[in-house]
Formats: sequence, structure tokens, C-alpha cells
Amino acid sequence: MPSALLDKLRSIVGAPHVLTGVDCSPYVVEGRAPEAAVFPGTKEEIAAVLVVAGEAGLPVTPWGGGTKMAIGSPPNRIGLVLGLKRLDRILEHEPGDLTVTVEAGLPFETLQAELGKRGQWLSLDAGASVRATVGGMLASDASGPRRHLYGTARDLVIGLTVVMADGSLVRGGGKVVKNVAGYDLPKLYIGSFGTLGVLVEATLKLRPRVDVDRLVVARFDRLKAAGAAARAVLGSDLIPSALELADGEALRRLGLGGAAALLVGLDGLAEQVDWEVAEIQRLLGPIGLGETTVLDGAVRDDAWRALAGLGRPGHERVAAVMKWAVLPTQIAELMEAGAAAAQRNGLVGAFTAHAGVGIVTAVLAGGTNPNAVVSTLTEWRALVNRVDGHAMIEWAPLAVKERVAVWDAAGPTLRLMKGIKERLDPRGILNPGRFVGGI
Amino acid sequence: MEALLGPGGVLSDPEELLVYESDGLTLFRALADFVVFPRSAEQVAALVKIATREGIPFVARGAGTGLSGGCLPSEGGLVISLMRMNRVLEVDYDNQLAVVEPGLVNLHLSWAVGPQGFYYAPDPSSQQACTIGGNIANNSGGPHTLKYGVTTNHVLGLEVVLPDGELMWLGGKTRAAQGYDLVGLFVGSEGTFGIATKIVVRILKKPQAVKTVLAVFDQVDQASEAVSAIIARGLVPAAMEMIDQLTIEAVEDAFGCGYPRDAAAALLIELDGLAAGMEAQAERVLQACRDCGARDVRAARDEAERQLLWKGRKSAFGAFGRISPAYMVMDGVIPRTKLPYVLGRVNAIVAAHGLRVGNVFHAGDGNLHPNILYDPRKPGEEARVVAAGAEILKVCAEVGGSISGEHGIGLEKADYMPFIFSEADLACMHRVKDAFNPTGLCNPGKIFPSNKACVEVGPAYRPHPIEEKGLAQRF
Repeated sequence: MPSALLDKLRSIVGAPHVLTGVDCSPYVVEGRAPEAAVFPGTKEEIAAVLVVAGEAGLPVTPWGGGTKMAIGSPPNRIGLVLGLKRLDRILEHEPGDLTVTVEAGLPFETLQAELGKRGQWLSLDAGASVRATVGGMLASDASGPRRHLYGTARDLVIGLTVVMADGSLVRGGGKVVKNVAGYDLPKLYIGSFGTLGVLVEATLKLRPRVDVDRLVVARFDRLKAAGAAARAVLGSDLIPSALELADGEALRRLGLGGAAALLVGLDGLAEQVDWEVAEIQRLLGPIGLGETTVLDGAVRDDAWRALAGLGRPGHERVAAVMKWAVLPTQIAELMEAGAAAAQRNGLVGAFTAHAGVGIVTAVLAGGTNPNAVVSTLTEWRALVNRVDGHAMIEWAPLAVKERVAVWDAAGPTLRLMKGIKERLDPRGILNPGRFVGGI
Repeated sequence: MEALLGPGGVLSDPEELLVYESDGLTLFRALADFVVFPRSAEQVAALVKIATREGIPFVARGAGTGLSGGCLPSEGGLVISLMRMNRVLEVDYDNQLAVVEPGLVNLHLSWAVGPQGFYYAPDPSSQQACTIGGNIANNSGGPHTLKYGVTTNHVLGLEVVLPDGELMWLGGKTRAAQGYDLVGLFVGSEGTFGIATKIVVRILKKPQAVKTVLAVFDQVDQASEAVSAIIARGLVPAAMEMIDQLTIEAVEDAFGCGYPRDAAAALLIELDGLAAGMEAQAERVLQACRDCGARDVRAARDEAERQLLWKGRKSAFGAFGRISPAYMVMDGVIPRTKLPYVLGRVNAIVAAHGLRVGNVFHAGDGNLHPNILYDPRKPGEEARVVAAGAEILKVCAEVGGSISGEHGIGLEKADYMPFIFSEADLACMHRVKDAFNPTGLCNPGKIFPSNKACVEVGPAYRPHPIEEKGLAQRF
């Protein structure tokens, strides 16, 4: 990077907040270090950085906790990493309004702990890493098991402030829980992986904390039976907060054991949860319910955390992780077909799914032979696409990503997406080349 | 167009076009050149292509129950009525979704899936008449959105005709399509991004139990505080509606639903969910109301009493016909905790203009509906209503709120957008609009501040006799 450009960046954010050379190594993207990493202290500084980057044609990668940086196509060039860690304040929390406004770099767990002190929580699941930031979770549309009842970021974000590529500061939505004034821009930024603007502030809907929160592990001797049990729960009066289907390999890795299981999150008043636990046994007994355990407290938290960490690289020789979006009724069959495909390639598949919403986490393990990994991922995508579902590589080594597309082939909507991208980031400096269709 | 749609598919007689000159907000009127009635997505696409080729503006229209002038042909041209595309195409109970056409009446979907124990959650008060397509355009809400969210939280996919006539799917039946959330962007775009021709929505299981509570207060502030107190005690009711004294008088004159006439305000609170724990939750609600000084609290004893209480709430707008020749409903949103302050300001503003106001609204999510009562026969009164309405929305904006919670911006509030959005905010929205609608022919003149040269304003709406009887209402 030219020293004149570096000097400009240093004058904007202060020299101590600009890293270069080997100091950038924690901010590697797809195996490559950026030319520099900057850590602005205000949204105005972010705006100034983007203006400078725009003039220089320098690609900018927004960075929260870095926990989702493995998602995306390998980019041509890593220019500037723009770290949000200095924007980490809670700006406004009015418990009576059940809303909170925060800066994007705030660690999610810090927020959750602060809200907890006042009897509230943000109903998103934390995932496996304590480094996750609110902004990063929104930009990557992160969610977990409790999306079953509580939805995803798109259901919880009521306002966003974004620094656009041209340095202008744009707000979408507002601070009230119901609002139809103007276009719903927050929906556009959620899950846009930093390709349209840099998220700097968010206003979120909160929920009161629940009295009781349990996790029921209902085991079955076959995956099909567990799948049928999921459908029985969905068709019943039960109101679970989470409904996870796990196959035998996933259960083994979670240390829970069994051939297949349904993990049911139940929360609310003690009276409600007690009734629901009994109802699950009544409902699922006739369809092959085996050993059932009810987890609470730290054991419950550990189980959820382990589930979120199942697909983390490094976890028992994980070779790749794919996310599928399919219909709930297709899950069990696809998991079985996916396991068979892995086996044919000499590998092992471990599968969990949000059974009510149709999102499957498919973990490939048991070896790292690139040919076998590429071949399995390709077969998995074909299986899912055949039933009109979507498959996305959440993590894989660079060598694999160079041979299997991270995203599905973009359909006719690509022209709309490109049209939006070109109008909001005409110089193409925001995370170029990493998103769907090469955006 | 006649060749495309066949006989009866195109209206061009000025007398027939008159029927389509306004929506539920009759303060604004504009006459179309043609009103057309397609029966398929392909016909909609063909019509849009004709309009684009000829450079004619076009706008989609559902039941016309909108309250912001959003479906008016304010620059003339084509009104594309979707009322003949009103089928439920597919219901998949196992996957809890339905595929419907845009002209389907909201409530008819719940009727269709009701026998299997399901319903469609978004319930605008106009749900007996309004269409799902119109709900998509406006991201419509309703009383039960407090717990269940608004339209956008229930839409999975849309088949749309883009403003250049191309037919494509945004999203689908699965939860996550890849790329930008075009469905989320399209919902609430007030018909400026194209026309939805098929809609995939979630359907929900009906709750096992429902409990409805009425709390009566001698002071409006007490009722406002009770709203916050209920939330603060960790309860999320399915609905929490406030009705003030003037509204209660109108409702009781019209229907006699059992609201006490001398109360300053009443809260109608509904809990739903599991039967287990329902009594305990209801008791928490009742106690919160008592602690805030409620004069009387009671749960509906049976379904008949529950229905009667809801009739009072849902027919309130129509009941204003008993006490005023006309009224205009506002749709501001404020943080819940600002209710006491803002209600005081609303009443003061309206009084300063020499008018009366009845408040009946979604208190739980801070969505106000001040109904300003007036007499259109009195010269100048209508202008005072508009001025008071603008002042009320300004107050909502000042306390960190919004100028519309569920009715949309349309023509009515386009000039108020700068109350809550900066020039940069609006410029960004404009660029997004340009990506969908580069010619601007698709529903021009809406949302963004602009002139209203072709739109006739006033004289205002008069309640129909069936509204005054409570058989129908204006929402």
C-alpha cells in the first residue's frame, strides 16, 4: 500500500489504530493477510476511511469478531480490513420499551450479560465463539436453534445505521417496534456480508427473560422415527423454543449418544414447561421414543454450545461444513442420503437440523482428501438442489473452495441484486467478489 | 388489453372508473384511464409490458382498503386490480405454509386452513375485506402483531412481475434463499417495486388457549402505565389495545359492548398459548393493572363475552359515525414508555385546533390511532384536521417514533418523510427503488416527497349507513 495512503488512514483514525505487515496476521481472509487493518473510533471516522478507500479503489472488508470470515468466495484482493471493535457501546436501553440500541462492534455476549441484569435478552443464539459481535451477527444473518420460535435477525432488527460506500451515513427503520415508513432497508443489510455498507449501529427488539428453560433430549433408534417425532411435535399444541434433529454421528460428537434424537427446547413458566415435558412423552411414546433426558442449567448451556460448535473447523477432523435450506418434511431423508454420499467417498457425515424451519448443518469429517471432499460436497449440493433447496459452504479449506462454488448458481434475481449493489457501491469497494453471483 | 383480458376485463367508462378513484382515505382522489382485471400472473406481466411500452404509469390495487392513498393512480394511467386472482393455490400443513394469489381476502385464508387447526396470523382490522397482496404492499399489521409480528414476518416467497414485465420468484418455500433479502425489501414497498402475483406465507397452529381481560381506568395515564407495567413483568400478551373515553362513548352508543361509559380509558388485553400457566399469567396481568390503579379488572367469562369486547374494539372506527359526521385516522408510532406524554400532547394539539379526538389503538407496541373528528361541511375544518395530523406526527418523530406503523406512507404522508429521514436516507431508498423501478412508471408519486398536482383533495369521506350500524367499518 502506498505510504501516502497509509498516512491518510493514520491521520483519520490515529496511528496506533492502523496495523500493517505482520501485525495484520490475525486478520487473514482466506489465507491472505490484508494490506492494512484500521480500527476507527467513530462512525465519522469510518465514513472518512471509506471515502479514502473509494478514491484509491481499495477493497474494504468490514470485520466484527471475525468468526464468520470463512463464509464467502475467495476474493481477488484483500485490501483493507476495517475493524469495528472500538465501536462497542450500548447507546440506549429502555427496558420498558423492550428495545436496545448498540454499536456494531459490541460483543454479543457482553450485550446479553448487560441485558440479563435487567431481566431481558436478545433472542438470538450466540453460536460457538465469544468473539461474535452484534454487527457481525447481523451482517452474516447468524442464527441458532431458537430461531424456531423467536425468528432471526430480520425479525428482531428494527433500525440500522450504515456507513455507505460513499461515506454517507444512512439510517433505515427506527427505534420503534412497528414501523412501515419508507423501504425496509434493514432487511437489505441483514445477511449482506458487508457488501452494501458498514453496519455501525443497530436497534433491536428484546424479550423478557423466561422463568424456566430446559432442553429435552428425546432419543430414537432410527433417524426416520426422530423425523416423524419432529412432525408430531410441529402438529401438536406444544410451543417449543427449539426443535433440533440430530443423527447418530452428530450425537456421538456431542457426547449425547444414541442413533438419532430430537432436541427440544422448552421455555416459559414452570407450569408450562412441566406440562410440555409430559406431553412430549405422551405424544412420542407411541412412535418409538427411547431414553429421554431433561437438561437444565450449565449442562443445558453446554449442550447448546456443543451443538453450535459441531461444525467448527478443528473439531474432530472436520473437512467442510455446508448449510442446507430445505422444507422441514425433506430433512430426515436428505440427512440419510447425505450420510450415504459421504460414506461412498470414504468420509463421514454428521448432521443436525432446525427441524421446524428446514435448515440443516451438514458436517463432513473423517478425512481431508480434497478429491473426496469436493466430490461429497458436489453430491450434497445436487441432492439439495434437486428438491428446490439451497446449499451453501459455510466452511471449507481454500483448496476445496477453489473447486466447489461456495454459493448456489445465482438465478434470475441476480440482476436485481447486482442492480442494488451497483447503485449503493458503484466503485465496488465493499467486500468485492465474496458474495452470491460474484457480488 | 381487451384482446388480452377478454370482455369485462377492461374498464374505461368514466362512471365506472369513479369507483376506483380513492382508497379508504377518501381525502385524496385520482382518476385512472383504465382499470384492468387480470386473472393470471402472465396477464399481469403482459399488462405491465404494454404499460411500459406505452410509457403509461400503472399501479396494483387490491380491495382498496388502504389508508394512505397508496394505490391511487395519482398520475393517471392503469389500475391493475388483482381481485380476480383470489385463489388459495396450495396448502402444505406439514410444512406450515400456503401459496395464495394476491387478491385473496386476508380472512379467507384463515377460513381455508381453520378446519385443520391453522390460521394466518397478521390480522389487520380490515381483514374481512383487505387482500393479502395489499398486505404485502403495506406490510400490514393488526392487533395481534404485538406477539406475532407484522406481514413481513410471515412471508417466505413471492412471485412478482417486475416493473419491466419480467416474472420471477423472490425467495420461495424454504427459509433461506441466497443473496440479499429481496422478499424483505419487497414487502412494504407500497407497490413501487412491482406486483406480487403469488405469495408463500407461513400458517400457524391455533393456540391451545386464549384469555381476554378488560381493565378499566379513571385516568388515561394509569392505563398507559399499566401497558409498561405488564411488559416490565415479563409478559408478552398477544394483543394489548387501548380505548379512550370518547371512543367508549361512541362504541356504547352504537353497540353496547359492556365498556363502562365513565371510564377515562380501558385496556383490552389478550393472552394466548398453552392452557397450562394461562391462569397464572392472567393473574400477573390483572395484578399489574390493579397496581397501576385500575378501577375494575375482569377476564371475559366466555367466548360470547370475549367476542363482544373485541367487537367494541374492532368496530370503534365505524362507531365514530355516531358522534361525528367525519373523522381522519392517524397512524403514528412511539416508544411505549412515551405513551403518557404523547397522548397528552395529542389531546392538546387537537383541542388547540378546536377539534375532538378519539384514541383507539395498539398500545402494546406504541402504535397510536388518533381519530380526529370533524365536520366537512364547516369551511376550513378539513384543513385544520390535516394541520393537527401533521403536528401529531411531528411529536411522534420527536420522541423517537415513526410516522406510520401499519398504514403506509402512500400519498398522504410522503411530504412528512423528512420528519424522520435525512436527505441521505431518502437518497439511499431512491437508489434501491431505481434498481427495481428505473422508469418510475410503477406506482409513481408515492412514499417520496413530491408534488400532488394531479390529486384532488376533499371533500372528505362520510360514513356509510352500514358502518354506523356496525356492520362494516373503516379501518
